Amino acid sequence: MNSDDGLHIVETLPNWNCISLSVPSRNAGTPVSASQTRNPITIRLRKILGTNFTDEATTEALRTLSELYGTQTIVSVSGSKAQTNGTDSDNDWSDEDADVGPVGEDHRECLNETASRARKNLRRDLENKLAQGSQQFLQAFSEVDQKLDELQNHVAAMRVACDEAETQLRLSSEASQSLLDRAESLRSEREEVEIRKSIVMLFLNRFTLNDEEAEAMTSRDVPIGPRFFEAMNKTEHIRNDCRVLMSGEDGPTKAGLDIMASTSSYLEQGYEKIYRWCSFEFRQMGRDTQLEVDSTMQQAICRLSQRPELLSEALAFLTQTRQTGLLSAFLDALTRGGPSGLPRPIELHAHDPIRYVGDMLAWVHQAIAAECEFLESLFGLGGGQEDDGRTRRMVGAVRTFRGSEEEGWVKELLNSAVTKLCVPLKVRVQQTVRSQESSIVSYKVANLLQYYMLTMRRTIGEDALLSTTLSEITDVSYKVFFDAIEAHGRALLRISLDPDDSSLTPPLPILEHAQLLREIMQVYDSSLLDDTTAEPGQTFNRILDVMLDPAMEMCAAAAEEKARYRPQWDRAVFVLNCWCYLQNVLEAFEFTSEKRRTIQEKIDKRVKFLEDEHYENILRDASLYDTVAIIKSKSPSDRLSHVLPAQQLQPTLARFSLWLSSPEVVHSPRLSALTSPSLHFYHPPRAYAQLCEEVRKPENRYEAASTLLGMERPFGQAGVLWAIFGLEEESEEFAAD
Amino acid sequence: MALDEYDVDATELLETYDFLMKYIIIGEAGTGKSCLLHHFTHNAFKDHSQHTIGVEFSSRTVKLGEKRIKLQLWDTAGQERFRSVTRSYYRGAAGVILVYDITNRDSFLNMSQWLTDARALASPHLVAVLVGNKSDREEDREVEWAEASRWAAQNDVHFLEVSSLSGDNVEAPFLLAARSILLSIESGILDPEKAGSGVSYGDRALRRVTSSSHLSFGSLSGARRRRSDKLRLKNWAPSGKCC
Repeated sequence: MNSDDGLHIVETLPNWNCISLSVPSRNAGTPVSASQTRNPITIRLRKILGTNFTDEATTEALRTLSELYGTQTIVSVSGSKAQTNGTDSDNDWSDEDADVGPVGEDHRECLNETASRARKNLRRDLENKLAQGSQQFLQAFSEVDQKLDELQNHVAAMRVACDEAETQLRLSSEASQSLLDRAESLRSEREEVEIRKSIVMLFLNRFTLNDEEAEAMTSRDVPIGPRFFEAMNKTEHIRNDCRVLMSGEDGPTKAGLDIMASTSSYLEQGYEKIYRWCSFEFRQMGRDTQLEVDSTMQQAICRLSQRPELLSEALAFLTQTRQTGLLSAFLDALTRGGPSGLPRPIELHAHDPIRYVGDMLAWVHQAIAAECEFLESLFGLGGGQEDDGRTRRMVGAVRTFRGSEEEGWVKELLNSAVTKLCVPLKVRVQQTVRSQESSIVSYKVANLLQYYMLTMRRTIGEDALLSTTLSEITDVSYKVFFDAIEAHGRALLRISLDPDDSSLTPPLPILEHAQLLREIMQVYDSSLLDDTTAEPGQTFNRILDVMLDPAMEMCAAAAEEKARYRPQWDRAVFVLNCWCYLQNVLEAFEFTSEKRRTIQEKIDKRVKFLEDEHYENILRDASLYDTVAIIKSKSPSDRLSHVLPAQQLQPTLARFSLWLSSPEVVHSPRLSALTSPSLHFYHPPRAYAQLCEEVRKPENRYEAASTLLGMERPFGQAGVLWAIFGLEEESEEFAAD
Repeated sequence: MALDEYDVDATELLETYDFLMKYIIIGEAGTGKSCLLHHFTHNAFKDHSQHTIGVEFSSRTVKLGEKRIKLQLWDTAGQERFRSVTRSYYRGAAGVILVYDITNRDSFLNMSQWLTDARALASPHLVAVLVGNKSDREEDREVEWAEASRWAAQNDVHFLEVSSLSGDNVEAPFLLAARSILLSIESGILDPEKAGSGVSYGDRALRRVTSSSHLSFGSLSGARRRRSDKLRLKNWAPSGKCC
C-alpha cells in the first residue's frame, strides 16, 4: 500500500503546485469574506495548505519516488545514449527528451521535464511495475509449485518405504518373540543355577577344605601354627557335621562318604605333620636344662594326644633327647661345674661324703623340678587348676595323680627322663658309701639318702626307676652302716678285761662304744625324716639292738671271765654298773624307751640276784641269818619257841643290836661301788620286823615276848629301825605294832 | 605405698618369659619363709604352717617393665638339722631372700652367717635381699628398722620389711631382686648364657636378643621407692648400654 500512498502523495503534489501558483490570482480576483471562510472548499483548501509535508513518512515516500525515477532515468538515458550519442549520465531527465533538447541543457529544465513526464506516466509506470512484480510472483510460485510436486513425490515414495519397513518390523518382531521367550526362560534358569551354585559353594566351604587349608594341612612349607591349627579345626568340624548328617534316616550318602574319606586323609596327613614337627622339635630340646613350652607346642601335643601311637612315638624322641641332655648336664655339673669354674664341680667335694651325696641329689631334685614344670606345661597341666593361673604345686607336697591321661604321660616321661641319671648317681653314691670308715658318716649318708628317697617318691612316684634306685642305694648304705656297727659289736665281744684293774666302773671300750651310740642317736634325733613318714623307731630299734646287745653281752661275759682269775672282784656290781651306764646313755632320747625297758628288765634280774646275795651277807653280819633260816625252815605247826628258845634268841638280838652300832649299817662298802644311785639294798629291817612279828605271835608261845624283844635295841620297834635306815616302811605286812 | 606400684607391675603370665631366675629363700626356722613364699605365689596367708621338710619348690612368672621373668623359688627349711640338705640347693642361685623375724632378735643376729653361707655357695653375682618379716606385729618388735637397714647397707644387700600375714610388701623382695639382676645383666656383669649364673634366657628374650641386641627396661627406672637404701638403684639406672 506504500506504493498507493506514494501514488496518492504524488497525485496531490501537482495539485499543490498549480494551486500555489494560482493563489495570488485568486486572492486578487475575489474578495475574502466571512462567508467565504465557511466555504467547504475553503476549509478543504486551508486544510490542504496547512498540511505539513515535512513529516517523516512523506519524506520517505518522496525519497522512494525520486529514487524510482532516478534509476529509471539513468537506465533509460544510458540505454538511449548507447543507442545515440552517449549522453552524459547527469542529464537524466534530458535523455527522455533527447529528441527535444540537446545534450548539456540546463539541468533544471531537464528535471522539470522528467518530472512532468513522470507526472503523466506515474500511474502507468506503477501499474507496469505492479504487473512486473506480479509476473515475478507468478513465476516464483510456479517454481514453488513444481518443487512441491517433487516433494509430494518424495513423500509418497517415503511412505511406501515406511510401510514396507513396518511390515518387515512386524514380521521380525513376530519372529523374535520365541527367542525372547527362550531368553527369558534361560535367564530364570541361570538364576536358579546361580542359587544352586552358591548353595553348593557354601556346602563346599563348609564341608571341604579350600586349597589354602589343604596346603596348610599337608605342605611342608607351611609351618605348624595358627593357620595349620585352624585347618585342623575345620577338618574336625567337617567330620563332626558330616557324621551328624549321615546319621539321618537316609543312611550314609555318597557325598558324605567322600567327604569323610577325603577329610580323613587330610586329617591323617595333619597328624602326621604334627608328629614330624614334634619329633623335630623334640630332638632340639636336649641342649638346654631350662626348657620352655610355647603355646604352639602345647597345642600340637594336645592335638596329637588324639593319636596316642604318634604321640608316644614323638615323645620317645623327647625322652631320648632329655635323657642325654640331662645326663650330660649332670656330668657337667659333677666334673666341670660352671663355665668359669663357678659353681665348682660337685666332685670337688667328694672328700666330704655328706656334701658330695647331698649336692648330687639336690642337683637331681632341682633338675626334676624343672623337668616336671616343663612336662606339665607341655601337657598344659602347669598349675592351671586354679583360676588365677599360678603354679600351685610344691615339690615337697604329696602329689595326687588324678589319673588323667596327661598326668600319666607326665609321670612316665619324668620317670624316663631321669632314668639315665640313675647309673652315674648310683655308682658314685655306692662308691662313697662303701669307702666310709666312720659308721657315723655312713649313717648320716644313709639318712640323707632315705630323705631323698622319700622326697623323690613323692615327686615322681614310687615306681619310678629313680625312686627304686634311691631305695636300693639307701638299703645299701644302711647295710654298710649295719655291717659297720655289727663289726664294731663283734670286735667288742673279743675284748677281754684287764685282770689287774680292780675298779668296777665301765671299761674304756664300753665308754667308746657308748659315745658312738650317742652320736648315732643324735643323728637320728635330728633326722631329716618327717616323723610321720618313716616307720618310727623300727630301724632305730634294730640299731639299738645291734649296738647294745653285744656291749651288754661283752660286759657279762668278760666279767665272768675276769671273775675266774679274781674271785674277790665284784663282777655283779661291775655288770650292773656297765648296764646302768648304757641305759643312762639312752636316757636322753625319748625314742629309746622300748630298749630302755628291756635293759631295765635285765638289770632288774641282776639286781635281784645281787640283792639276795647282799641280803644274805648282811643277815650274816647282823647275826640274823640263822634265826631267819630257822623261821623259814620250821613247819607251820611247830611252835617257834620250841625250835628257837628264848635263851638262844636273846644273844642273837644282842649281836644285832651290836651290829646296828657298826658303821657298815648305813654304808655298805660293796654297794658304794654301784654307780647308779637308784639301786639300794637295805633289807635288815625287814628281817627284824619279821622276827618281831613271829616272836609276838601267840601261837609261838614266847613268854613275855615284849620283854624279850625290849631287852635290846631297837626294842622290838621295827618302825624305828626303818627310820634309822632312812627308808619308808616296806609294807603293812612286815610292820611291827 | 610401694606395694601398689609393685602390684601394677606384677602380672601373672604363664606364657613365654624373657628370663628365668633361681632364688633361694633362707633364714632361721619360724621366721615365716614359707608363708612369705606362699603369699607371693598364692596371694593368701598360709594358715597352720608346719616346719618345712628339706626344701620345697614353687615358681611364678612376674612382669617387670617389659620383661617377663620366671622365678624358680626354692624354699628351704630353717631348722638346723636340714642345714646340710638345704646348702646343696644354694648352688647356682641368682638371688637369695634372707628372712628374719622382726619380733625375734636372734633370727636377725644370725643373718651374717646365713649371708656368708649363701655368698660362698651360690652364684658369684648373688643378689641378696634382707627381709624383716612379721611387720604386722609392731608391738613385739625386737629389731629396729634402722638397725637392719644399717646392717643391709654395710653388707651390700637390699632391705625391706614385709608382712606375710597381711600381704604387705610380699612381692617387693622378689621384684627387687629381679630388678637388680636385670640391671646386672644389662650392665654386662652377669651373663645369662653361662650355666650356673642362676639366670637363663627364655625363648622370648632369645628371640628379641637376636633381632636387636639392645635391651631396654621400659618402666624399670620409672617408679622409685621410698626407702633410701634402694636409691642406690638409681645410680645404676639403665643408660642404654648394649648387652
